[in-house]
Amino acid sequence: MFSGYIDGLIVILAINVIMAYSAALPLVAGQLNLGTAGFMAVGAYMAAFLSNEYGLPIGVAILVGSLASGLIALIIGIPVLRTSGIYLALATFALGQILVAVFLNLEIVGAAQGYPVYGYIEMPTIALTTIGLLILLFVLSQTRFWLYLTAIKNDPTVCDLFGIEVRNVQLAAFVLGGMLAAVAGGLQAHYLSYVEAQSFGALISIYTVLFVILGGTQTVLGPLVGAAFFTFLPEVFRSGEEWRYAIFAAFIIGFMVLRPQGMINANMMRRLKAPFGGKASA
Amino acid sequence: MLQQLINGMMLGSVYVLIAVAFTLSIGILNFLNFSIPGLFMLGGMISWVLISMGVPPLLAFGLAFLIACACALVVEKLTFSWMKGSDHEVPLVSSLGFLILFEQILLVFYGSDQQAFPKVIPNATLKLGDLVIGSAQLLGLVLSIAIVIGISRFLKKTRVGRGIRAIAEDTTTAEFLGINVNVVVPLIFLISGAVAAIGGMLFAVNYSQVSPFMGEEVGFKGISAMIIGGMGSVWGAIAGGLLIGLAEVMSIYFLGSDFVDLSVYGLLLIILMVRPQGLFGLAQVREKL
Amino acid sequence: MLLEINSLSVKYGRIPALEDFSMEIKRGEIATVLGANGAGKSTLLKAILGMEKASHGKVVWEGENVTNWSPSRRIKDGLALVPEGRRILIAQTIEENLLLGAYQRDDVDAIRHEMETIYDRFPNLCERRHMQASCLSGGEQQMLAIGRALLSKPDLLMLDEPSLGLSPLFVKQLFKLLRDLNKGGLTILLVEQNTDQALALANTGYVLERGKLIISDGAQKLANDPRLHEAYLGVAAE
Ligand SMILES: Nc1ncnc2c1ncn2[C@@H]1O[C@H](COP(=O)(O)OP(=O)(O)OP(=O)(O)O)[C@@H](O)[C@H]1O
Ligand SMILES: [Mg+2]
Repeated sequence: MFSGYIDGLIVILAINVIMAYSAALPLVAGQLNLGTAGFMAVGAYMAAFLSNEYGLPIGVAILVGSLASGLIALIIGIPVLRTSGIYLALATFALGQILVAVFLNLEIVGAAQGYPVYGYIEMPTIALTTIGLLILLFVLSQTRFWLYLTAIKNDPTVCDLFGIEVRNVQLAAFVLGGMLAAVAGGLQAHYLSYVEAQSFGALISIYTVLFVILGGTQTVLGPLVGAAFFTFLPEVFRSGEEWRYAIFAAFIIGFMVLRPQGMINANMMRRLKAPFGGKASA
Repeated sequence: MLQQLINGMMLGSVYVLIAVAFTLSIGILNFLNFSIPGLFMLGGMISWVLISMGVPPLLAFGLAFLIACACALVVEKLTFSWMKGSDHEVPLVSSLGFLILFEQILLVFYGSDQQAFPKVIPNATLKLGDLVIGSAQLLGLVLSIAIVIGISRFLKKTRVGRGIRAIAEDTTTAEFLGINVNVVVPLIFLISGAVAAIGGMLFAVNYSQVSPFMGEEVGFKGISAMIIGGMGSVWGAIAGGLLIGLAEVMSIYFLGSDFVDLSVYGLLLIILMVRPQGLFGLAQVREKL
Repeated sequence: MLLEINSLSVKYGRIPALEDFSMEIKRGEIATVLGANGAGKSTLLKAILGMEKASHGKVVWEGENVTNWSPSRRIKDGLALVPEGRRILIAQTIEENLLLGAYQRDDVDAIRHEMETIYDRFPNLCERRHMQASCLSGGEQQMLAIGRALLSKPDLLMLDEPSLGLSPLFVKQLFKLLRDLNKGGLTILLVEQNTDQALALANTGYVLERGKLIISDGAQKLANDPRLHEAYLGVAAE
């Protein structure tokens, strides 16, 4: 019983962390993606379908699902990323809703009735996959690509001048984000043994962005901290059961008032890296 | 078929109000205020709570309206006015926090179930040949269009309206001209929250049900209506709201209710790609959040 | 004394932009503030209007300490600024721009009447009063910005580099306008890069260098003061 609870919590954490990075990648470049749940649905349905109907190993099925989601992100990203700001946020939002609505009407995967999944993966596999992805992301954060992302957020025009292909970098971030969300969806589908279109509602995408902003996008650690915090905080308030989400919401509001740059910001990281640096950061 | 057209317009009138609420906030302050669906819900739910406590309907509506307005001002204080100069996503997140907070507080006290909203308007219907128009629905349509026209006149013709439009174009210049931004900005939140709350009451009366989460779906469709009509355009909000209402009712009629999201958000996505400024929007609306 | 400034300082973050600045302006006078780019001239005008907070010192307006008043209150009380870069609202009509100048007033009839006077003065504006202000040329926009400030019925009109970017003909017209307005009793505080013309117009002059007042003198004397040129060259040579 108890360990079931812990297992479940770890899986939720893992899914939330992967989702956080799927929203964070474009957000680091200043693009708000409010449709991550749609890509999650693509990954979940695709992986479930492949492992159910074609007997593909679950890992392969999830990978193919992720590639498919990346392809969709690429095809749709090209026109959608022409917009920016609020338009982009709402275009991705619409996209997420549409993707989910497609599955809601797709008879071959059970439409509104949902779709049972026969393959099963355990918590440790999910945890290890997440850690693997995190390592990849941390490596990515040391590359020039990440530098470009932050540069684009700060000043796209200047980036253009310095020959950074702004559009392509943004598209890459968007596609990678779509692929990550699909992995999260595939893992979740095989853990819960069930896929249901209704469970990929717009609020999932919105909450995901919330994790990321609360964690902070100035550093690569921010989304991880945000997601972990979001997963555990409601558990901490469990004693106050029915009030816990209200407390949680009040906490978000208060937090943003006191610390709008997120929990983990660049300054703090610099201080952590150089604890005896004296005047390392001004 | 004609009947569906009418039903679509009636439903659309609720979206019109939400779209106007959003469009004021975005068009003037450049702020996507996610607490608007929450204020919509407060309008409906608090009216229901008061009426079921035995408060006369008219008084209940008045009180619910005042409470929602007060909440709108609190939102302004803790999101927008605090966050000046921060990243654009930040006020977005904290206004979302308010949406969750409002929903959860009502959830704690009244549960998540749909509650039946009592009939407060006599059940008269207008029959034109085969067409049936409910009096409450007609009232809703007329009221929402009247509100929109009123707001549009207010912005165009009055002194404060001119000040609001100056703030919309350039807040710093507005300050240079002596417009008291610290008074006008809360006023915009107030108007936008009030419109949302009225929308919630109309919805409650028209569809006879309320719940703590009634704002979410309507809110998303209202945002879509705003974009389709053109961000920042009050007339666009009418066009967008009615169009979404029609699209929804028509797709239920022809395709089934599972197709609603597909057609509504498909319409939104197409508009965003083909004509991002919307049907009535200006081409150069500033692009922040 | 109409306006009195006592050791006023303004900081952006920790960086001082104006330090320990004092001046006095009498009613009916024209004062000019000169200085190189970044000397703190705009900062001074914004602080007088209340757009920037004073970190030290005070602003006394008609004998009253207004240091903590909001800009809208000061404008209502007779201060007005034609800001740097004119700041016309191009999405609104010319008439709406003018009306915004009168935002703090509610004497509708008087506003109407004064607006007609302004249209008489600037016939170019009158012809296009219901068109969007984006159709105006730079010079016409400057006239609109001045007309807008006048509609607040100021006792002190401050102008921040109004001649910037105007053709010589327009500059001439502008200075003639300022002289006329002053003859009509208006007190003027003018910030200019156009040193010679500004000093020819003004009664007193102040020179700022990196936020500090280095000279204040009668305009005529100042025009021949070698330190004035140093103030410009000194910064340029760095
Ligand atoms: N908003 C601001 N934030 C930070 N520093 C500022 C700001 N505005 C001005 N400064 C700095 O304050 C100093 C004075 O600026 P100010 O605009 O008052 O100069 P100025 O004399 O009007 O120059 P110019 O002739 O170029 O208009 C400059 O060093 C400028 O960089
Ligand atoms: Mg200046």
